[in-house]
Amino acid sequence: MTQTAPRRKLPLKERYALLTRDLDWDPSYVTKEQLFPYTSYEGIKVHDWDGWEDPFRLTVDAYYKYQAEKDKRLYAVLDGFAQSQGHLGLADASYLNAIKLFIQGVTPLEYAAHRHFAYLARYLEGPAPRFAALCQSVDELRHCQTQIHTISNYNKYYGGFHSWSKMHDRVWYLSVPKSLFDDAMTAGPFEFLISISFSFEYLLTNLLFVPFMSGASFNGDMPTMSFGFSAQSDESRHMTLGLEAIKFLLEQDEGNVPIIQDWIDKWFWRAYRMSALVAGMMDYMLPKPVMSWKEAFELYFEDQMLGGLFPDLEFYGIRPPRHVQDAIAEKDKLSHEVYKVLHNFSFAASFTTQAPNEQHMKWLAEQYPETFDQHYRPVWEKHHRIEANGGRMFFQGLPQLCQVCQIPMVFTEKDDPGKTSFRSSEFRDEQFHTCSEGCQWIFEREPEKFVQAWLPVHQIYQGNCGGPSVPEVLEWYGIQEGDNGEYKGSLDHKSWIGWHNGDVEQGV
Amino acid sequence: MAVKALYDYDFPSADRAELFGDDQLVYVHWEGNPLFCSAACFRVPKALGFGEFVETVVGPWAASDPDFDPTAVRDWRVNGRPLDGSAEAPLTELGIGHKALLQFTA
Repeated sequence: MTQTAPRRKLPLKERYALLTRDLDWDPSYVTKEQLFPYTSYEGIKVHDWDGWEDPFRLTVDAYYKYQAEKDKRLYAVLDGFAQSQGHLGLADASYLNAIKLFIQGVTPLEYAAHRHFAYLARYLEGPAPRFAALCQSVDELRHCQTQIHTISNYNKYYGGFHSWSKMHDRVWYLSVPKSLFDDAMTAGPFEFLISISFSFEYLLTNLLFVPFMSGASFNGDMPTMSFGFSAQSDESRHMTLGLEAIKFLLEQDEGNVPIIQDWIDKWFWRAYRMSALVAGMMDYMLPKPVMSWKEAFELYFEDQMLGGLFPDLEFYGIRPPRHVQDAIAEKDKLSHEVYKVLHNFSFAASFTTQAPNEQHMKWLAEQYPETFDQHYRPVWEKHHRIEANGGRMFFQGLPQLCQVCQIPMVFTEKDDPGKTSFRSSEFRDEQFHTCSEGCQWIFEREPEKFVQAWLPVHQIYQGNCGGPSVPEVLEWYGIQEGDNGEYKGSLDHKSWIGWHNGDVEQGV
Repeated sequence: MAVKALYDYDFPSADRAELFGDDQLVYVHWEGNPLFCSAACFRVPKALGFGEFVETVVGPWAASDPDFDPTAVRDWRVNGRPLDGSAEAPLTELGIGHKALLQFTA
């Protein structure tokens, strides 16, 4: 048998060039404009697509090799956890409410991101950003899939984990994340890059994901922590893409700077408002809290982004996002205001809530010395009194929603935690309400877009959500008995107590 | 600023008054009561008398707070302006239009 000499292994840079950029060609049957119809109408000018540096130089074969390794490790953890009945080692069954919010609210966004990055992988003009978008598209699909596999184990034992995909399209609180992505996906390719890759992935990913993953590890949820780790190297690649995208666009043409500033102003506030759900989760839904929203915001946003990133961007003429001071001003209030919504309305949610107990309130008071005892403790104590008399206060009606972020209008004026913030605009003789100066500014910038918002409350009143009564709407949402309401005394709570006392045979 | 688009971007509002026929949406905010996270939204007939509205719509909602006292309701405002007029007058005659914000204290 003759042996051929092993082929020379190409240097990484050369391999990358051959396997990515070298696969690009100039169109000859159609014009460049026909091939790439979406890259000019937003007003962004790109003079040299080859100026896009891909810092990773990742080729398809290397990419699949890394991802397969990570998947192997993750699935080993999932198997071990399932076989050893690991869910019984969680801090408490109520912890899983945070994970219900995650699979209903975040996992579908991974899928939406997969779809839109696939579109960018087709329609961006340069081969390097197209390839980066392709990798990210596959990443997002993998994240969606690993999250489904990780969390499906809990679906065997606990309520609220089924039908999450349908719920994402229909349920009121899930219109908050859904509408943000719908907004981004209906924008042009460059606005999408600034919204998702920069404002979301770069500015806020750590603030959104680290608390979930640390919360998982603190509360005994090894599988969720493992998919977090398994996604982490992808996330750092996405963050780098976000930063590369903004720097590339800023360097290409001076005229791009004000357009991009405008998008940063819009998308910082959109993404920040959505993160309010995470704030409520961090401060109220973890049996063993990790760090407060305020502390995470200071660390991951104020220090890292405002202190680290924005001084660098100043060189390009970019300033910190408009309304960023409003976000800073409400860091002592945000989680308390948002969790109240979840607590008021959990009869119509696919998770359960409970008023914080004494010990938890003590922690909240330590974390929020300026606001908790004065403004929020008295309300929780009133809830405790109502419950001591055998009641449970739910909001008997539907809330007013913000036209832009779609969160119920719970936010207060920045200088007065007792005064609800109402903003109102008129467009084509119709009144539109927004929760803050940030959301009002976004509305007035593109009213033609936001008047179309699918506001769940108004849709219920138009008769588009299964019927006029609460049971009809809940059925249309796919919410089943045991998914919703108060945690104490819920099916999850009863099963948990039973499993730990040995009264209930597990998994039956 | 208009939406940047590749075509003429013109779509109707998703909640325009005509979709609600003889009804309209109104928001009610109980000022200074943090037990309710936000204002409530109701669909009510435009011709409903204000007094009846308060009794049959606002009252049952506000009673989610066991301390609610219907006789203490006062200081009605609509879109920030004090509301005056007879309790029999229909909502629209009092300047309470589609998606108006009503506020009270109690």
